[in-house]
Amino acid sequence: MSVLFDRTRDPLRGLLVLLALTSCSVALAALPLDLPPVSTPASTEHHPGKVIWADLVTPDLGADESFYGGLFGWTFQIIHTGDSDYAIALLDGRPIAGMLQKAIPAGEKRRPAWLTFIAVRDVDAARAIAISHGAKVMSEPKTYAGRGRQAVLADPEGAVFAVLASASGDPPDFLAAPGDWIWSASFERDPKQSATFYKAVFGYDVFDLPSDDGAEHVILSSDDYARAAIHTLPSDHRQPHWLNFIRVVDAVATAAKAVALGGRVVVEPYVDRHGGKIAVIVDPTGAAVALMEWSETDTKVEPK
Amino acid sequence: MSVQSVPWEVGIVGLLLLGLVTACVGVVSPGGYDGSVGVGYVGGYYEPYVATYGGWGRGYNVAPPRGGDHGDHRAPAGHGGPPSIPSRSPQHH
Repeated sequence: MSVLFDRTRDPLRGLLVLLALTSCSVALAALPLDLPPVSTPASTEHHPGKVIWADLVTPDLGADESFYGGLFGWTFQIIHTGDSDYAIALLDGRPIAGMLQKAIPAGEKRRPAWLTFIAVRDVDAARAIAISHGAKVMSEPKTYAGRGRQAVLADPEGAVFAVLASASGDPPDFLAAPGDWIWSASFERDPKQSATFYKAVFGYDVFDLPSDDGAEHVILSSDDYARAAIHTLPSDHRQPHWLNFIRVVDAVATAAKAVALGGRVVVEPYVDRHGGKIAVIVDPTGAAVALMEWSETDTKVEPK
Repeated sequence: MSVQSVPWEVGIVGLLLLGLVTACVGVVSPGGYDGSVGVGYVGGYYEPYVATYGGWGRGYNVAPPRGGDHGDHRAPAGHGGPPSIPSRSPQHH
């Protein structure tokens, strides 16, 4: 080693070694992320418009692992990404979400949020359609081995979501198990106009739901299944956003446990239109998720 | 015109510099979005702090319709009622 770094004897050789070492370390950091597939086992199914993944960026990965692990029974597989960690959340050994450790930029008033990933066959085509209908690109399309190709967009009202062309196909249409994502909704100032946007991008069928609460509620469906809803943004909300729902057996007990684990309840459990209870909680870092009870008999007869 | 030979070390240094610059561009290029980290992972999102969740009261229905919940919805022409979410469980598949 002393010969290698003896720059007084051969300055060019010393520079060469230094450059080689630097190049190797940078190249290692630049290795492409190999993320696990969304569908395990791999599926041959494709369900454009289905919510198939969720990501959380958090300033405290350890706190969120404890919270979501304790609340929903998730386990975690850590992937090192150079200067950060990305935790794959598993439910019964199946990947269902990702959590990314990253500090909130100093001086910026921001907070963590779950990002909703919606299935598409062609990310670039979806991006182009979305832009032509008023969307903004938050992150350009990028391909990850195992996962597939994804991009992050903001709809015309500013609600942020992601599109994902899964390399392993889309998960089959099963009823979500307790602890898994079961439903998603976007809260917008003009639900009907937003529905037009999402229909254009994902090819949804759109259904208005009757309402006596002074708000508009729209169901987005594909393959004869309800995939998501769009609701009128509550008056005290300033930023349109997506919200994802996790199936629970007992919303009251889960909300209480969330508080015990360091979270907060922002919508107390109440009975919704389907007869089960809904609640909204916030994790210790400030990200919101909704809880939804759903019994086996809650679902309509399967489409033929 | 005379041709001078370039020491092989200079060529190697050039190649390494080129590789270094390329790798660095690969690391930092997906900027512009605060969910990108390290190797440019496209996911995660820090919301503006003004974002508010929940806060609605009873009667603000956000769940999907369930089986038999046909109601008097205003469905698109040619369609039946709004569908529900999948009901099959993996065990029965």
